[in-house]
Amino acid sequence: MSTTSEPNRAQLFSWHFMPWPYLDETFEKKYESGWITIPNSEFDPDKARGLYQEYLDELVHADEMGYDGVVLNEHHQNIYGLMPAPNLLAAALTPRMKNGKIVVLGNLVPLHFRPLRVAEEYAMLDCMSGGKMVCGFAPGGGHEAFSYSYSMPLARERFWEGIDLIVQAWTKPGPTEFYGKHYQMRYVNPWPQPLQRPHPPIWVPGSNSIETMYEVAKRGFCYFVSTRSKLAGVKRSTLRFEEIVGEVGQTFHPNKMGLLLSVYVGETDEIARRESEEAVFYFTRYCLKGHLRRAGRRLTMAPGGLTPKSYQSYLENSDVTSKLLGDAENWKDIDEMGSIIVGSPETVRQKLWEFVNDAHIGNLLIQFHIGNLSKEKTLKSQKLFAETVLPKLRADSQTLFEKKYPVKTAAAATATSKKPKSV
Amino acid sequence: MKSKTRTVVAGGKSVEILEAGKGPPVLYLHGVYDVHSLQGEMFAFHEALAESFTVIAPAHPGCGESTGIGEISNIEDLAFHYLDLLDALDIRSATIAGFCLGGWIATEMAVRNPERIGRMALIAPAGLQEPGASVGDFFMYSQNRDGGIMRELRELLFADADGPIANGIVPDGRVSVSNEVRRYKSLTITGRVGWEPPYLHDRKLRGRLRRITAPTMLVWGDTDRMIPIANGRAYSENIPQASLRIVKGGGHSVQIEKPDEVLAHVVPFLKSGKDS
Repeated sequence: MSTTSEPNRAQLFSWHFMPWPYLDETFEKKYESGWITIPNSEFDPDKARGLYQEYLDELVHADEMGYDGVVLNEHHQNIYGLMPAPNLLAAALTPRMKNGKIVVLGNLVPLHFRPLRVAEEYAMLDCMSGGKMVCGFAPGGGHEAFSYSYSMPLARERFWEGIDLIVQAWTKPGPTEFYGKHYQMRYVNPWPQPLQRPHPPIWVPGSNSIETMYEVAKRGFCYFVSTRSKLAGVKRSTLRFEEIVGEVGQTFHPNKMGLLLSVYVGETDEIARRESEEAVFYFTRYCLKGHLRRAGRRLTMAPGGLTPKSYQSYLENSDVTSKLLGDAENWKDIDEMGSIIVGSPETVRQKLWEFVNDAHIGNLLIQFHIGNLSKEKTLKSQKLFAETVLPKLRADSQTLFEKKYPVKTAAAATATSKKPKSV
Repeated sequence: MKSKTRTVVAGGKSVEILEAGKGPPVLYLHGVYDVHSLQGEMFAFHEALAESFTVIAPAHPGCGESTGIGEISNIEDLAFHYLDLLDALDIRSATIAGFCLGGWIATEMAVRNPERIGRMALIAPAGLQEPGASVGDFFMYSQNRDGGIMRELRELLFADADGPIANGIVPDGRVSVSNEVRRYKSLTITGRVGWEPPYLHDRKLRGRLRRITAPTMLVWGDTDRMIPIANGRAYSENIPQASLRIVKGGGHSVQIEKPDEVLAHVVPFLKSGKDS
């Protein structure tokens, strides 16, 4: 049982990918992939004017609507997410966020010549935001290794060593020294330090690698499932992670796990589908081409990103002819794949509740802006969700967590200590 | 020619060796797609070589049953690893044949300890990158596209990308799980030493080649799309005693695609170094 100031319930976040929204059928005909090799002559600066502002407004709206926070992430040289430098956007959000957290999921540690830079930028953001940061770290997959010409097999070693350097920079009074296999620093003494002590919450994404789960669990970080699987697949990873948390002697709580989902909510199932269908297929057919779609897919599993043992298990449990999210041909496929949830408030609530109740997910990271969805529709769905789905999910998860995962909150601890013993 | 497997400890690492033949020893250092990386047995080329030599083919760290991959993070680490192996095998002046990555390792050994290398036959060795002659993106093409297509990799490795040899070794879809893992292990060690800079070269190697004292033969397929032949010319111009032999109709994996032509160059050359 730990003490925290957080309410003991599921947390709901709004995640923005900030895609390039101006593609059409010619993209599909001309280009094998939306990543790394798609010519940037297709990028039109005139159309880009105001785009970041629009996307940031959508995240600020989520904060105004009472979500627990917003999520940004890092990708390079692609049309899926125009966020090579998420910390810049986090900085732009800091004066505009009232209550919500800012989750950056995450900074790609191996891309940095010295990961100290990541410790410094996150510490700045934590100070600027008044302690609202959730700091994500990611090793990057094939897309990132190809984008930055860094060695995929060395990335994992550098990743964990880099994180250890960052945590040292935040927690050991400096100046200290750091001598690792990949990074050596004579002076580790960053100014500023993060506002949250001992350090901001740390999240790490994973795609079912057992080795990653152990490293995350051991350090007490939060594991975020990034695989875009349906409920059964998500459960396999989350329940395995839960076991591993126990194995390494830590206490499990659903807030140690997050999941990425896409949601569009409308007044009825029909309205929701009608309003979002074009944007959903823009996302699956274009944004996912070269990644979670068989067509053009060859970057995701860059060689050496897994140990031979994990790679063997991946081979034994995957089928190159099976459909990925981006291979959805029709609405039925979208529905069955379970990662893009579209419908009335009640439909959406039920499906999200399954992830909380069955897969023990405590952080729902929801993509409201899907593909080329308009600002108007994004705000409408995000608002309707906040008014109809969010309150019940919070209340139901609180009832569940207080029963199954009791946590002594800071407020409760204070209240208890004030009560006379006889009561 | 039946090959057998044995294990040798070199510099604290366990090395799996595939060995065949009789006669003077030839250390064969394998490539990214070669013996140990595509299959656990020798190809026809190695078996024919074993008619004249004792072919000693170690698996790189992390390949086959060889250990110690965690200690290897650049090409120099591999060069010292194989200098350790020469010590373990008690070879004072080595005759080396190497393909692709293996040829590069041989040159990195030879610039460091020229006296330990008596003679080298290098088949399409990596290691240099002449302007405009970059190594093909085999890391990208090693993964199938569209749920199975491997044609781009076949094109990098073979002159005839649609022929039976190419399709037999790199078919569309997946090969057996054990052979997929074998390929993955080979790409993993290669990625540790050859991903940065992209790909498979050492910017300082060209200037060091003058240190090599071993008579060196370079063999290149005339349609090598993985390592452009400009790099072969640069090797032959910068190694003091070098010659370049070009095999017509051969791709990168010329010893698999045209074994007889390659043997016709390599066997007499390696035999002429009887003193080693």
